[in-house]
Amino acid sequence: MKRNTKILSKQVLSSLWVGSLGLLFAYPFAWMAVSAFKENKQIFLPLEFWPEKWDLTFFGQLLNSEWIPFGKVFLNSLIISVGQSLGAVLLTSLAGFAFAKHEFRGRGFLFVTCLCLIVLPRQMMAVPLFQWVHTLGLYDSIWGVLLPGMTSGLGVLYFTQVFKLIPNAYLEAALIEGAGLWRTYRLVLPMLGSSLLSYGLIHFILAWNEHLVPMLILNSPEHQTLPLALSSLYGSSLRFPFAVLMAGSFLAMIPTSLFFLISYRRFKNSLSNVMMS
Amino acid sequence: MIVTRRHAVYGLLVPFFIFFVLFWIAPLIEGVRMSFFSNEIFGDSSFVGFENYRTVLDDERYLKAIKNTSVYTLASLILILPLALILAHGLRSVFGKVRPLFQFLLLLPGLTPPAVLALLFLLVFHGRQGLLNQWFVIPFGWKYVNWLKDPDFILFALVLQCVWRWVGFITFFLLSGMEAIPKMYYEALQIESTRSWDRLRWVTLPFLRHVILFCVVYLIVDAFALFSGAYVLLGGSGGTADAGLLMVSYSYQKAFTFGQFGTAAAMSVLVAPCLLFLLWTCFWGYRRLNLGSPSKIQKA
Repeated sequence: MKRNTKILSKQVLSSLWVGSLGLLFAYPFAWMAVSAFKENKQIFLPLEFWPEKWDLTFFGQLLNSEWIPFGKVFLNSLIISVGQSLGAVLLTSLAGFAFAKHEFRGRGFLFVTCLCLIVLPRQMMAVPLFQWVHTLGLYDSIWGVLLPGMTSGLGVLYFTQVFKLIPNAYLEAALIEGAGLWRTYRLVLPMLGSSLLSYGLIHFILAWNEHLVPMLILNSPEHQTLPLALSSLYGSSLRFPFAVLMAGSFLAMIPTSLFFLISYRRFKNSLSNVMMS
Repeated sequence: MIVTRRHAVYGLLVPFFIFFVLFWIAPLIEGVRMSFFSNEIFGDSSFVGFENYRTVLDDERYLKAIKNTSVYTLASLILILPLALILAHGLRSVFGKVRPLFQFLLLLPGLTPPAVLALLFLLVFHGRQGLLNQWFVIPFGWKYVNWLKDPDFILFALVLQCVWRWVGFITFFLLSGMEAIPKMYYEALQIESTRSWDRLRWVTLPFLRHVILFCVVYLIVDAFALFSGAYVLLGGSGGTADAGLLMVSYSYQKAFTFGQFGTAAAMSVLVAPCLLFLLWTCFWGYRRLNLGSPSKIQKA
């Protein structure tokens, strides 16, 4: 009985302090959501939380593309992020399969080269990348952002670990049956559902939030991504209604949050598995 | 390890390496080439040898940017890791029903585009109207601090932004790791000691050492690559007296504000060895530190 009270009090205490920290972290987002309904002069007084009246004019202005081509920009962001994450999952899982389960010449060298990819982030190579994308003729095109984002050192590392968890017996059975490498790969893929989803999620979040590379490569307003368009709104003029920016920022958070909430459980389980291998 | 017809294996690697060479190796080579040429970007640039490197190394602002980036990296590591560890530990004893909710609240900043994050951050750190001043400074009768204009506070504000952004994610990783630790290790330790410090030191940390290493590497690389947060907060410059000037934002400024592409490329190239050295130190420290592997505990 005494032990139970002790556990319960610990639970209450932890819930209290973790919860209050969580609320503190999330408070600005709540403020952002309600500020989408506020007039400018009220936005500049952050102590007033609730808007004077709930009207949807600012959401309307945003969705009617009065300030930025919102629909187009949102779609661009979605295409780029989904494309990058699908591409990265495909490319890196193939490479991970090769590294985890096969012996071949140059394996160590190639693997270390992939790790260097993690170590040197793309933001740092932004200036040369900008020049190079120009040379390839992909400047101001969605492809100029989508294609470079499909490589990922983190993905190779992750999928090498994931494939190591698959018992060799499965692969050998497939090979004995006469399946080729590609067929074997396709046969084991369904076993990796959660891992593929988890990695896809991480890559999606990173791609959605990327700022510098799209900023350098995408120039015309209707080719830009959402974060770019939003930051171009910021500070455009004093008469500009900030509520539109708040509404846009609020909508910008929805895809990543939704994706995260849907895959939360599978994400966590597959992370636990990979980390403990 | 299964061995198949040798050459077929390369087929699995080809798609990845095509992209790798095309969009990573090639820009890298391009960057090295650019760093040896004069500053005009298209067409008529001429070979200048190590001229650009000399310009960069003589540049006091560059040294300042290196210093700021190092302080920023170190400070964010020191703040984030312990906080995330404590949070992950706390989350384990939170009521099961609300645990995913709390986790989501903590993760929210990490799911948000940094441009939006910086904007919200402005709300907290704004001069007179900012929440921090309104809540914690002005009520005590102190003069408000202009966080983003005062050179003593800019870097601190950037670090806090980093903490806000990544603590949730790091907590999430650590928690996933903690939940995979088999209970029997804690039970075995119970015989020797019931202190929670011992549980942390002899079971949790040794088990999480890979995860912690991953988090450290991730945070370092992200800190070096920090751009958009600083860009929105400080408008692409270094802020007052360059107190918030970071490596990526400086090389961006050199290239796209001043049009000195050769110099900017030399900067990018110079960052690589710094970062590699830092990460090498991490791995070296990781080996030396030797938190003890769980298998040793099992034997003891």
